[in-house]
Amino acid sequence: MRQPPRYLTFRVYQGVDLSQLNPVQNASPTERRMDIFALTWRLPIIVWQILFFVGPLLFMVAMSFFLVKNYVMQETFVFDNWSKMFSRGYFRDSYFLTLFLATLSTIVASLVAFPASFALAFKVSESTRRWALFLLIIPFFTSYLVRIFAWYVILAESGAINAVLSTIGLRPYTMLNTKFGTIVGYMTLTLPLVVVLQTFSLANVDRNLVQAAHNLGCSPWRTVYTVIIPLAKTGLIVAALFCFILSFGDFVSPYYLGGSKPPTLPILIIDTTKSGQQWPRAAVIAVVMMATLITIAFAAITLAYRKRASR
Amino acid sequence: MSTPLVSMENVDKNFGTFTAVRNLNLTIDKGEFVAIMGTSGCGKTTTLRMLAGLEQPSAGTIRIAGKLMNDVRPHERDTPMVWQSLALFPFLNARENVEFGLKMRNQPADLRRKKALDWLDRLGVAEFAERNVETLSGGQKQRVALARSLVTEPQLLLLDEPLSALDAHLVIRMQSVLTKLQRELGITFVYVTHSQSEAFAMADRVIIMSNGEIAQTGLPRDIYREPANRFVAEFVGRNNIISGDVRKVTGKKIEIVSPTGTFKLNAGGGTSAGVVPAVGESVAFVIAADLVEITRTRPKADNVVECSLISEEFIGAMVTLFLETEDGTEFKVQLQERELATLDHNGGGSFYLGWQAASAHLLPNEAV
Repeated sequence: MRQPPRYLTFRVYQGVDLSQLNPVQNASPTERRMDIFALTWRLPIIVWQILFFVGPLLFMVAMSFFLVKNYVMQETFVFDNWSKMFSRGYFRDSYFLTLFLATLSTIVASLVAFPASFALAFKVSESTRRWALFLLIIPFFTSYLVRIFAWYVILAESGAINAVLSTIGLRPYTMLNTKFGTIVGYMTLTLPLVVVLQTFSLANVDRNLVQAAHNLGCSPWRTVYTVIIPLAKTGLIVAALFCFILSFGDFVSPYYLGGSKPPTLPILIIDTTKSGQQWPRAAVIAVVMMATLITIAFAAITLAYRKRASR
Repeated sequence: MSTPLVSMENVDKNFGTFTAVRNLNLTIDKGEFVAIMGTSGCGKTTTLRMLAGLEQPSAGTIRIAGKLMNDVRPHERDTPMVWQSLALFPFLNARENVEFGLKMRNQPADLRRKKALDWLDRLGVAEFAERNVETLSGGQKQRVALARSLVTEPQLLLLDEPLSALDAHLVIRMQSVLTKLQRELGITFVYVTHSQSEAFAMADRVIIMSNGEIAQTGLPRDIYREPANRFVAEFVGRNNIISGDVRKVTGKKIEIVSPTGTFKLNAGGGTSAGVVPAVGESVAFVIAADLVEITRTRPKADNVVECSLISEEFIGAMVTLFLETEDGTEFKVQLQERELATLDHNGGGSFYLGWQAASAHLLPNEAV
């Protein structure tokens, strides 16, 4: 028997020993035809990802080492941009602010969405759930920017909320250009999506296990956190991850509702490109953001799919 | 007389317009092993779920240990259930699954752990205590599920077709595990199944349900030998059911005329005690397939019919022969496989079926 290629013999990918996979040269003609068939279907997405994701990403990393002189970008390989950005206090402040706001957004969205998702998954009929999910998708029909500007009418000093507050004798409350405003914007962006994702994962929870918990003396309230949340864990973490990614990279909410001061990283990117054509420094920020998101996404997915260790 | 552990009085359960259980009256004594048997949709699982509080009765009362349970919620009861799907929690290991009920009763961690390990040990799966339950085999999972429901030492254990997912040889082994446990613990088991062999092998008393009602309740042997009606006669065992008109009644002896011939039987004991039909009445009787003798020469029996062989069904030690009389009535005969050799059953030609009047059983509720 032919040995599989050496590079395959010791690799293990997601628990699958690749050496066990059938190398193409051992395949029968039918199997080989199937491989070509499968490859044909995969090809468009592979090409797309290389052209429009991997390529630009590599270019962005390369660009972070370029230099700008007299408003002209020069293709160099120097660490100036990296050392400059990392030595600036405002960059560090901005990084931690963005991290803080995105984390807060994730926590708030997950907590606010959960009761709604729980009700949709467990307390309403199948058809009501379908309608509710449909209605949750409707906000996406309008531009995000339009929805953010709609909040002006509500949150402004002379807006709807303050009008109500003044009738009961309260002074206007500043909500625009605050972190509160930013979080309201993030919720506009993420909340419907988080509800949809949480509802799907909760609806998939095996009802037998819920009843088994009741049967073993677990009260309905206690069942939520001892049984239902552990069972829906994967979906709940994925929903939170989506919320984090969207909030972390969002420019509109912190800019228009949060007042852009202090700036979050996406705002900082805009400011950097505007001031003196500093695209390479903006690239440094973007690379740092990508690295952060990839790390967090990887950690979240690992946590989401982690199975109990079996001794 | 002490109060029964479980008593259900005039219990109905409707799902919309569908009636799952109708006017159910049932008492179960402490320490009894009761099997509820029936086809799917007969209401047996609904009955069990009402005992667990997972369904509320639409009418009637349910008492457990004398206490009215109609409005007691599932988690406030002590009626653990072993599920058909086992319903083990995949995010907990075997020991943690067993501890679950104790944790809900807020018992301290070290006591929980000790009890859980004791039970896993008692059921022979202690070595898998720390294993992810998804990595266990069907039989091992079954034992973990059993340990989980017994660890709280309930008075009443509900079992919903717990062995239906197991291989045949494991079913036999688990049956003896269950009966042994039930004897040792002295607690009441209510066991729902569609399998006659499981019910008969384990239960002290069998309840047959059909269309939401109890068709018969009794000792396994009585149900097998003296079915109370046509449904039970067809559902349990291999019975030949013959309908006809009563021609003569002399004391306990009855003669029945049917298109197949004239048959003698005794008005009976058991479920048909006291039932004596009148002359001219239409009745049905049962002769169990294993009480029929099959011979090549006309036997000296109270009842004899002549048949030709249609087919045979071999299931190991026992063989069922399917035969037909000249008028097209089908008969089933069950005999030991080793008896078959003396019969020369492959030779074609006719066979004689014979049985004594005392072997036949008059169906008491089948006055057609």
